[in-house]
Amino acid sequence: YLKYKHKEEASLMPGPCLSYDCIEGIIGGVDYSQNKVNQWTASIVEHTLTQLVKQGKPFKYIVNCAVMQKSGAGLHTANSCYWDTTTDGSCTVRWENRTMYCVVSVFAVAIAL
Amino acid sequence: MSDLAKEKAARLLKKRGSLSSLGSHEVRAKEAFAKTKDSISTVSYMEESGHHDDIARPAVQMENSYQLSPARRFPVLTVKDILKDVLTSYLQEEKYEPELCRQMTKTISEVVKARVKDLMIPRYKIIVIISIGQIRDQNMRMVSRCLWDETNDNFSSHTFKNSSLFATSTVYGVYFE
Repeated sequence: YLKYKHKEEASLMPGPCLSYDCIEGIIGGVDYSQNKVNQWTASIVEHTLTQLVKQGKPFKYIVNCAVMQKSGAGLHTANSCYWDTTTDGSCTVRWENRTMYCVVSVFAVAIAL
Repeated sequence: MSDLAKEKAARLLKKRGSLSSLGSHEVRAKEAFAKTKDSISTVSYMEESGHHDDIARPAVQMENSYQLSPARRFPVLTVKDILKDVLTSYLQEEKYEPELCRQMTKTISEVVKARVKDLMIPRYKIIVIISIGQIRDQNMRMVSRCLWDETNDNFSSHTFKNSSLFATSTVYGVYFE
């Protein structure tokens, strides 16, 4: 199955690999299941957030995750941010398998210390 | 050609001290109508039009403001009204079309951001996320979790649905301490 990764330039941002590994670890080889999707999204988001916090950087984080069943439908997402580009950044990772898509976005907003 | 136009547009949007950063991701799927084989092909690509910051600017050091909490909090209900307004006015009569919706997500996110900025809430950073999708008997779940200061930061979201498409929008307001 296919995997895609998107690399962000912002050097202050935690690597996209982090969120990618989190997704891979939780829904790596499974097919879409209506009863489990609740659990999956919650744990992907939880897991990503705890990994980010472990890095100990002075940031506030927002983690957004969307899981969609593959059915021939299309999906578009866009984000627009008003912040300080020298200190804040975002990173989005797209992942898919045979039966579903998963898009995880991480936004990090700096705290002045 | 379109890259030049995008660059121009991005430069026009540039303001001193902050840059509007716009990113969009799209996933499209087409089903092949074959009786013997069941195949699904996916077309997907990403666009990043925000990073035109060629000159490296050092991070600005802020002086102590001695302010413990924000003067004005993030107005959740006002922002929700803005979202409702923008989504219904842009999408009420539309049918899902890949090209149209791709453009629409970017436009709507810029419009919402501009309107929230107009509220002029001091010291708040704004993040707007829009998702537009086709309705086709599929299930979808969107989850978001944030690590921030409960007392100062907040978010507002709204979902719009018509017969052929749905749109989810979320605005996060993060206080700059």
